Amino acid sequence: MTTTLAGGRAARRQTMRRIRPRRSPATVLLLAVFAGAVGVLWLWWHNTPSIADNNSKILNAGRITGLLAGYLMALVVLQMARVPALERRVGSDRVARWHAMSGRYTVCLVLAHVFLTMWGYALQAGRSLGDIVQQTIDSVNQLPDMGKAAIGTGLLFFIGLISVGGIRKLIPYDTWYHVHLLTYAAVFLTFWHQISTGNDFAVEPTAKTFWYVLYGAVTALVLWYRILSPIRLNFRHRMRVEAVIEETPGIVSVLISGRKLHRMGAQAGQFFRWRFLAPGMRFSSHPYSLSAAPRPDMLRITVKAIGDHSTRLRELTPGTKVWAEGPYGALTAQRRSRGKVLLVAGGVGITPMRALFETLPGASGDITLLYRANTTQDLALWDELAAIANDRGARLMYAVNSPDGERPDISAERLRQKLPDIDDHDVFMCGPPGFAQSVYEALRGAGVPARRIHHESFEM
Amino acid sequence: MRKSHPIRRVVLATAATVSGVVLLLSLKPASDPGAAAAGVVPQQTVGAQESPQGGAAATGTGTVDGNPAQTEYGIVQVRLTVSNGKITKAEAIQAPKGGTSDQKTALAVPKLNQEAVAAQSADIDSVSSATYTSGGYKQSLQSAIDKMKAAGKAQGGGTGSSSGTGSGSTQAKTVTGAVAQTMYGPVQVRITVSNGKITKAEAVQAPKGGTSDQKTALAIPKLNQEAVAKGTADIDSVSGASYTSGGYKQSLQSALDQAGG
Repeated sequence: MTTTLAGGRAARRQTMRRIRPRRSPATVLLLAVFAGAVGVLWLWWHNTPSIADNNSKILNAGRITGLLAGYLMALVVLQMARVPALERRVGSDRVARWHAMSGRYTVCLVLAHVFLTMWGYALQAGRSLGDIVQQTIDSVNQLPDMGKAAIGTGLLFFIGLISVGGIRKLIPYDTWYHVHLLTYAAVFLTFWHQISTGNDFAVEPTAKTFWYVLYGAVTALVLWYRILSPIRLNFRHRMRVEAVIEETPGIVSVLISGRKLHRMGAQAGQFFRWRFLAPGMRFSSHPYSLSAAPRPDMLRITVKAIGDHSTRLRELTPGTKVWAEGPYGALTAQRRSRGKVLLVAGGVGITPMRALFETLPGASGDITLLYRANTTQDLALWDELAAIANDRGARLMYAVNSPDGERPDISAERLRQKLPDIDDHDVFMCGPPGFAQSVYEALRGAGVPARRIHHESFEM
Repeated sequence: MRKSHPIRRVVLATAATVSGVVLLLSLKPASDPGAAAAGVVPQQTVGAQESPQGGAAATGTGTVDGNPAQTEYGIVQVRLTVSNGKITKAEAIQAPKGGTSDQKTALAVPKLNQEAVAAQSADIDSVSSATYTSGGYKQSLQSAIDKMKAAGKAQGGGTGSSSGTGSGSTQAKTVTGAVAQTMYGPVQVRITVSNGKITKAEAVQAPKGGTSDQKTALAIPKLNQEAVAKGTADIDSVSGASYTSGGYKQSLQSALDQAGG
């Protein structure tokens, strides 16, 4: 076994593939979501013959926000069901951003729904807005399934609160993540009052059926893709730590062996969520990209020691069991539409770029890798990259700070100077957010259209 | 990469949602067009109200309607049949309708009726799973019982020389006013006139359907009461039901004209 995984047969086979761009289904999915929302609003419209007074207006606004919240709640959960079509075609990063955005929006809708409905009920009962708290208590006590709904809503608001930027930063990721899982309980608890007190579901049996199907389908997808699929994957492939290798100071590669790993269908550029069954690491799962094309018997990840988890990776002993979920991510060869490709890596962002550099189909001279690091010593995996470049006739460039600490110039002019036909390239990019942002702007300045800049960003 | 500013997104989402909801609400008519266009509204007798003479509930058999009680699911109104100061029958002339309310009403109201007769008071048990309807029922029942007692006292005080309401009386004359069309449907008033005085007023037709049901239930009893109290068509409109009130006054005037002539 060598420490470099370059030159595998599987990787070489991939370089022979034809370029077949696949469009992201994002637009179609968003349209479907809007169509569903229109359907939900139609349901309200259809069941409401008239609105007589202001009181009814408030109640109906409560109904509309409630219906929309109920609809979106199912979609917010669906976005995190790790459905392959979303994770691998739309991209895990984009779906995670959708999830965060629609989650916040849904929490606001729920807030509006609770306030408007209780206000409307208070007015209907001849009370004033000031009695809204008493009205809420009465309604929770007297209406069916409202006790459950109240607990669920409380949970939802709590989860929303700890997800607010400033507060979230104070909480360790694992704690936050596990509290966040309570959303499932919250959604379950709030579901029943929708059916039992929701006017539209009482009047329209079809609507009720549709609601059950929506929530049932989401539940099934969550169970299948978040629980059963990973169990099957791990029982089939039985992954273990094979070796841990220090690449440069602070960057380690973990080699993972297993059975028939090529059957997982992982592509270069994708990542898995890894859980190492070692003391203290059992309860946290982290996404790390494959840093080499997967081989039937071996996978490799390369990680920079920045957090708790990544620092501990160094101490992993060979033989440690590994629980993986994936493959996820859409930063793959499928995104490509042109013959020429520029790969841009910043720091440890080299990992997916390294795998793509090895496997992207292309003739000699088609592939260029630009590797940015602080110093030449920080250029992890450099020897491998040089070997691949040599093998494939690909170009390899690096940009490091000058000895006096000055940053290298990655500007539109410089990029055009190095690659005169840069506007005819697909660009794949991975690196820290600030780096990615500045390179993105330079690339746009150099004439690369936005649709050909492929990038994954996991900041919200 | 192309990031819109988060604040801008929040403002956009809020504005879009609020204006969308407001637009939807404002596009809805204030009354059910289907019900208004239906034209012929089935006869609806809204409440034999207590007259000052207490004719309804005195010695013989009479009916007393409680005030309509508003609940979250709709209006509940109880009618009692009283015989010799005792409740012999209780029924709900209005109860929540539509959706699951139908089931609940069907389940709860018979039980409540039974209880009311058995207890002879409004101190009855709520039917579980229909707490709102039960609450409304008890409220309306209480008001019916209050009216019944008030009428009984009036009778006992010896002032009650009236022959009571209804067509059974020889002296009493029943006159039905002309149908008055309103935006929400026709209104028609029937009055019982005894010795030149209105002893009873009721609406044989009133707007129905959608929120009109609620408005009718709220307005008509008040209008009936006022008509009896004033003896003329010069009565106050019920706020929130001005159209119905207008139609009512119109039909009442025509009934009074007929009775006078």
